[in-house]
Amino acid sequence: MLRFAVQRALSALFTLWSAATLAFIALRLAPGDAIVLQLALSGATESQIAARRAALGLDLPLGVQYLNMLSRLLRGDLGVSLVNGRAVTALIGEQLEATLALAIGALLVGTLLGLALGIGAALGGHWLQQLAQALIALLLATPVYWLGILAIYVFSVWLGWLPSISRDNSLQALLLPCGVLGVALSGSIGQMAAAGLHEAKKAPFVQTARAKGLPVHLIVWRHMLSAYGGALISLIGLQSGFLISGALVTESLFTRRGIGQLLLNAVNGRDYPVVQGVVLLSALAYSLLSTLADILAAWRDPRLRRQGL
Amino acid sequence: MFRNVLRTAFLLSCASIVFLVCAGSMFLLNVLTRPIAAAQPAASRIVYGLTLLPSGFDPHINASAELGIPLRSVYDTLVYRDPITKAFVPGLAERWEISPDGLIYTFYLRRGVRFHDGEPFNALAVAANLDRITAPETRSQKAIFMLGSFERYIVRDEYTIELVLKAPFAPLLDSLSQVYLGIASPKALREYGTDLYQLHQVGTGPYQMVEFIPGDYILLRRNPIYRWAPPFYRMDNPAPVEEIEFRFFTDPATRAPALESGAVDIIGELAPLDALALARRDDIALLPQPIPGMPLQFLFNTAKAPTDRLEVRRAIITATDRVAIIDSVFQQLSPVAYGPLTAVTPFYEPQVKQYYPHSREVARRTLAELGYMDNNGDKILDLNGVPLRLIVIVPTWGYAPQVAQRLQSQWREQGIEAELRQVPNLAGLLAAVQSGDYHLVAFNDFGADPSVLNNFYLSDARNNFMRVSNANLDQWLRQAVQTSDPAQRQNFYTGVQGLIMDQALILPIRDYVNLNAHRKRISGLAFDAYGWFPLLANLTLVGDD
Repeated sequence: MLRFAVQRALSALFTLWSAATLAFIALRLAPGDAIVLQLALSGATESQIAARRAALGLDLPLGVQYLNMLSRLLRGDLGVSLVNGRAVTALIGEQLEATLALAIGALLVGTLLGLALGIGAALGGHWLQQLAQALIALLLATPVYWLGILAIYVFSVWLGWLPSISRDNSLQALLLPCGVLGVALSGSIGQMAAAGLHEAKKAPFVQTARAKGLPVHLIVWRHMLSAYGGALISLIGLQSGFLISGALVTESLFTRRGIGQLLLNAVNGRDYPVVQGVVLLSALAYSLLSTLADILAAWRDPRLRRQGL
Repeated sequence: MFRNVLRTAFLLSCASIVFLVCAGSMFLLNVLTRPIAAAQPAASRIVYGLTLLPSGFDPHINASAELGIPLRSVYDTLVYRDPITKAFVPGLAERWEISPDGLIYTFYLRRGVRFHDGEPFNALAVAANLDRITAPETRSQKAIFMLGSFERYIVRDEYTIELVLKAPFAPLLDSLSQVYLGIASPKALREYGTDLYQLHQVGTGPYQMVEFIPGDYILLRRNPIYRWAPPFYRMDNPAPVEEIEFRFFTDPATRAPALESGAVDIIGELAPLDALALARRDDIALLPQPIPGMPLQFLFNTAKAPTDRLEVRRAIITATDRVAIIDSVFQQLSPVAYGPLTAVTPFYEPQVKQYYPHSREVARRTLAELGYMDNNGDKILDLNGVPLRLIVIVPTWGYAPQVAQRLQSQWREQGIEAELRQVPNLAGLLAAVQSGDYHLVAFNDFGADPSVLNNFYLSDARNNFMRVSNANLDQWLRQAVQTSDPAQRQNFYTGVQGLIMDQALILPIRDYVNLNAHRKRISGLAFDAYGWFPLLANLTLVGDD
């Protein structure tokens, strides 16, 4: 157990360091910097721009800037935005709650719908299999953006049931955005679930269980999902990447605040500290999620326990 | 049996999803929602849709035009521009004097004005604002540069302040009439500091900021004691709007449905086709608003062959059917642009309309006279074995891609090949321009003072994308900002506009028009002299639609 914890902590640290470094390199490779972009249309002279870059340390050699950044991060200082001068922690803090609510809700919808589709596609009767497989294919091919616009027209404009503006974290406000993002997510989860269960159906232990005359729901829930549920949980954990990009689209469609919009603006404005902060947060969330998924997976699947835990 | 159970399980889990989503959301609601004070709308609250989400909302620090849509009504400025005549009218200054040498501006301030926090407005408040804007640690991205050659101020008495300049700077009054130089409460500036003031802004305007949650909304409430309005604010408004909630509709596709469903009452920057569709509805009114400044235009790179040749540039403009572009891309909702300034900009010169009427024949002849022929039968003209090929930098915003595609097809018929290079943002555009490897680049900027041209056409301008160096142009542009005599300025700008078109430095496409629409439960929507900023005090609630 201790070995597992240490291993995990080290790998999380490595993930964070690589994320910070990659973000640093990617941002510096991209053209333009925050100050030049801010002042491009202002009428500022070259020397005024140079003075401002110098005051922020943006004129230092890249190696020095990189070390400065690492030392700041080690001290737990994420810095301040180059655009609005506010602390990065405050900027992220005020958006985090909204994104978490959206992500958790979407994951919930996506997992439930995805599992249902997966079970239908792998184990249902002929027409059910066809239907579920077609739905999965359709969902995989549907961009979340299109789905969102469609949902707005159907539920807000035509039916008038739900607001197209997602003002807060109330049920009414979350239903459409979480539904849209969740449904978009369910395609890939359904595909993975179907593949896992297809394999499970052919496994000797399932054949044995059926030969023993066990009730079907016991075979599915106790045997098949035990055997393949672990892998499925890990794979669902991996969807966090899709969640972040999907959240960006969903937030802008439903005029919700959130990390996605913050990141997009920061990247476009070359607001280095803000991008760095959001990237680190995502890396941290990813490490935590995948650790959690591994623990859950090991709990569901004793075979994994012997390898890692 | 196996199948039946599975079918039931599938259907049951599908049905239970709805329940679980509800249950999960209720759980989230309990865990995550904190009470939001402003959640209950007032009787007369409307929602105003913003279309960009700027990273910063402090008018002294940040440069986005979007911030002015709500904040124009939070602040008053020393002077205002009349929305129609664009003449300067009193604001927080009752009157002002300019010394004959143009170096000292004396403002006599209005008495009895109070900030939203109860603080009195006076010359010291103006001084505190100037101090803040010019302080290096404020890192102002726009306001400080709008002050031009401003050197220092002198507080003469409680209600008199002088602004002293190093050199004459004619656009100063224009700058002082803009929200970026809005006068904020010195107490609030002190209390919240540079970083947090944007969340707690306090002015003297007809609306006060109640709440600002970044990325989410801005809530303004009517200022009940507002009595110092400029002449064009309607003070006998029978049913002013009590509360206005501003939200961010950054995705163009969301704007029309938001209006249709009633989620938003006013929104701008509608797509032309959406605007036409909305205008056909009984409950929605369309309000196209022309914007002063530069039109949507393509700037020629005069340092790269073949657009280094004047005749080639002229032929390209002549080959372009701008009316067809306006018809197809903008649904005839924008006027055709003919020069470097839009028709609603002060000092616009209508004579530019005579330049380069569309004629495929004239363009063909001009190019033929220069020696351009299709020698290899590929339907592209060439000269000395080099095909007539243009690299066009196309930003992804402002309908530039749609316009560029039509240019490409129009020019192809003329034997001119165009390669479109899209850039996703300003950073990409500046980098592409810096490389020098382009013949045209789409770009524009806005402003009610033609000095906006100086950032582009002066030979040493940062944004001299045309790489133009013309002594007359430099001299006229410089002199035009040094004289405050309108007749003289008109002369200089007439010369400037004529010269730019005579030298075919740009291919103007359309005058910028902001397509606004509003639900008819509101009337009185009008915009200020800059075109972007609504006069919120003039909005009237008509009733439920």
